[in-house]
Amino acid sequence: MSHSSSATHAQQAEIFCRDESRVDWHSKALWLMREKRDRAAGSIPEWEQLRQLGSEIKLHTLTNLADLLQQFEANCQANGIQVHWARDGKEHNQIVHEILARHQVKKLVKSKSMLTEECHMNPYLEERGIEVIDTDLGERIIQLAGQPPSHIVVPAIHMKKEEVGDLFHEKIGTEAGASDPTYLTRAARQHLREQFLSADAAMTGVNMAVADKGAVVVCTNEGNADMGVNLPAVQLHSMGIDKIVPNLDSAAVLLRMLARNATGQPVTTYSSMYRGPKAGGEMHVIIVDNGRTAMLQDKILAESLKCIRCGGCLNTCPVYRRSGGHSYSYTIPGPIGIAVGGSKDDTNSIPWACTLCASCSGVCPTKVPLDKIIHHHRRLKAEAGQLPYGKANYMPLVGKLMGSQTAFNCSMSMARGALKILPGSLLKPFAGAWGKYRELPVAPKSSFEHWYKNNRSE
Amino acid sequence: MPGRNEILSALAKSALDKQPMPVIDIAPNMQDLTGQFETNLAMVAGTLHRDATLELVQEKVNSLIAEGLQVLSLVEGVTGNRTLPATPHELKDIDYAVISGELAVAENGAIWVTEQHQHRVTPFICENLLLVVAEEDLVANMHQAVTKLTLESGSCGAFIAGPSKTADIEQSLVVGAHGACSLGVYLV
Repeated sequence: MSHSSSATHAQQAEIFCRDESRVDWHSKALWLMREKRDRAAGSIPEWEQLRQLGSEIKLHTLTNLADLLQQFEANCQANGIQVHWARDGKEHNQIVHEILARHQVKKLVKSKSMLTEECHMNPYLEERGIEVIDTDLGERIIQLAGQPPSHIVVPAIHMKKEEVGDLFHEKIGTEAGASDPTYLTRAARQHLREQFLSADAAMTGVNMAVADKGAVVVCTNEGNADMGVNLPAVQLHSMGIDKIVPNLDSAAVLLRMLARNATGQPVTTYSSMYRGPKAGGEMHVIIVDNGRTAMLQDKILAESLKCIRCGGCLNTCPVYRRSGGHSYSYTIPGPIGIAVGGSKDDTNSIPWACTLCASCSGVCPTKVPLDKIIHHHRRLKAEAGQLPYGKANYMPLVGKLMGSQTAFNCSMSMARGALKILPGSLLKPFAGAWGKYRELPVAPKSSFEHWYKNNRSE
Repeated sequence: MPGRNEILSALAKSALDKQPMPVIDIAPNMQDLTGQFETNLAMVAGTLHRDATLELVQEKVNSLIAEGLQVLSLVEGVTGNRTLPATPHELKDIDYAVISGELAVAENGAIWVTEQHQHRVTPFICENLLLVVAEEDLVANMHQAVTKLTLESGSCGAFIAGPSKTADIEQSLVVGAHGACSLGVYLV
């Protein structure tokens, strides 16, 4: 079920799709978020202007990243924040561990950070004797269940409340059979309060890093980041190099869209800015590359770094909604996961977990051209000789067939004949995986070309 | 730091052409800011007390204390029954914290709250939060808010929009996750 598996997206999705009613439920839950997003976006007359600004601000930032990162670093240091640089996940984890070990940290409370998932930080620290407690409710649920997140904003969206109830009964002692979300949330509140109060250090991700202030912005609805960071002496914030924004004016543009596009709320409950450590405390920021500078060297892939991780593209994606977040080989699922994880996809399948419908690009608050990037990944896979499912064998033939008018018309005529006279069971195997969950089309009487000749041509 | 230099030199190989910073020029909606604020605050599960006074806040605090609750006030002119403890952890049994907000944002119901004493955790750890904001500090949108807010070097601040909440279990909204379980805003 996890991303360590090398099964293809289609194979993983098949597991998820065994329970059809669950698929419908999952799809509807996500579509509800899309509808809330539409209402929130529609209530702001300048929404499209904001999207354009969001895109331009992020592009400006990405094209001046070296300067802005250095400016951010210098300003952080002036504010008493210690800045660290990590080339990859391993370096990131080592830096974090060094800081924690220096302070004899036994328990770390962590708020949501897809970056630490990407770096596989939890197991690294746990192997070294540090207990890591995920404090976002959804993250805590999947941590207790031993699963990876299936969504970047609502990580336990794949689980039903009864399953959460059973899990909490076993792990934190809630009543057997209880599944009321309010009851379960209150129980988690009590359970996690104890963790916050006994933690030796806290860690968060970063939504935005404000270069001219030397401050990090952290957004949550639950208040877990602020409860974590403000109790123990040591606080750590991990960020990808793409999290930089030049100034607070830029942050305002993105903050106006982030929550509206994620869940339809006008803003997250807490949008906190940390511009220095607490009295007597330490504040560390770890800036991570882990493949991002390489992405910037490809003009098309580079634009995926404009993403602000609202999750809007997941909620609208017809493939994500019907295949679940655990079907993707990368930590981040859905369209943005394909965009930023396509190059690391050893199953060579996730760029095809997409219909190229471009709904994702249409809702993206920073106008990441997701469909274009996903299509580009297919080309990159082809160029690298990594086409999946024998596509490498039949695609050149398809190309030849489509390139020749005679061959194409002739084969289409044969197909129409076959669809009319042969039973589906005989024909379906020719459609391969495509035909597995689809009905074959009803054959038209004649070709479009034939119809056009008779009806429209002079 | 080898990592730093390597990352910075790798950035020099970026394929993107330089893009100028856009001009952010969005006309604010100045119509009935208090009304907008009230609507949006309600949307994020907070409650507004319009035309309030510090005396009114004190009355509320007195009634809470009479119920036997622990109230900490950081607002000058409002007195609770608790004082600031030595460690932030000792704030865990505060039922109500009364704190002043610096700005209120009409478009989303958020209130900018800055660090006001050595324990940054106060507005988050209290069971319930009461924020006192001057009506003249109401701004239309986030663009205006960020030009006015204070964020001193070495400090922190937060936009707080309503009580803490989550919808992580089957998308059903539960108010009261890790932070305050309710938020009352007094516009004075």
